[in-house]
Amino acid sequence: MLEPMAREYAPEGFAFLFVYTREAHPGENYGPHRSMEQKLAHARAFKERGRVGRPILVDDLVGTGHTQYGALPNMTYVIGRGGRVLFRSDWTDPPTLTFFLKYLLDVRARRRSGERLAGFYVECMGYRNVDQEKFQQGLEVAGQQAVEDFARTMQRWTSQGKIPSRMEG
Amino acid sequence: MTNQRDIEVYNYSVFEGQEDFTGFRSLLQIGVRAPDFPATLLETGETVKLSDYWRERDVVIEFGSHT
Repeated sequence: MLEPMAREYAPEGFAFLFVYTREAHPGENYGPHRSMEQKLAHARAFKERGRVGRPILVDDLVGTGHTQYGALPNMTYVIGRGGRVLFRSDWTDPPTLTFFLKYLLDVRARRRSGERLAGFYVECMGYRNVDQEKFQQGLEVAGQQAVEDFARTMQRWTSQGKIPSRMEG
Repeated sequence: MTNQRDIEVYNYSVFEGQEDFTGFRSLLQIGVRAPDFPATLLETGETVKLSDYWRERDVVIEFGSHT
C-alpha cells in the first residue's frame, strides 16, 4: 500500500493513482463483481478501510485497463510525464519503489544542472516482505471462502515445489 | 458489447492462482508508450483517462482491490 509514499512524494511532483481491479481473493463478504455498482461499492469500502487518499480509478467490469497492464493482482507502474513506461513491478513494494523514485529525482536534478543523460535499459530483481499475517487478515475480510481457496492453492504450489509469483535470487 | 461470460471469466469466483507472472515480464516494455484507458473516478463518478494524469506529471499507478 502506497499511501505513506504518496504523501511523501506528491510534493516532489509525482501523481499517485490507484486503479481498482477485480477482487483478487473473492469471498462471501466481497464476492466477484457482477455489476459496476458492486465494483464501485467495493472500491468505496476499500477507500474507507485503507484510508486511501489517492484518486481511485475504477476499471471497467471486464478489466480492460487491468489486462493491458498485465492483469496481476498488485502491480506498480511508474509512467513518465508524457506517457512512457519507466518502471514496472509485478508486486507493489514500497522500498523498491522508493529506490526508483529517488533515482528518478536524482536524474532530474542532474539534467537541470546541465548534465546530458540518455535513457538505457535495465532489469533488476526486487525483494519484498512475505510475512503472511497481514495478508491472512486481508483474506479474512473477504470471507472464509477466500481463506480456504488460498490455502488450497498454496498447498498445490507447495506440492509442485514452486510459488509462481516468487523468483529465486 | 460486454457479455456476461466475459464478466464471469475476468471476475473469477474462486482464486486458483492462475495469474501469468511469467507473461507479465514481456508484455509491456520499459520505454514504450503506456496504454491509455478510461476509468470511473470514484470520488466524482466521472469518466477520466489515465493520460489525463501523465500529461503534466510523472504518475505512480498501483493496481489492486479490497481483497
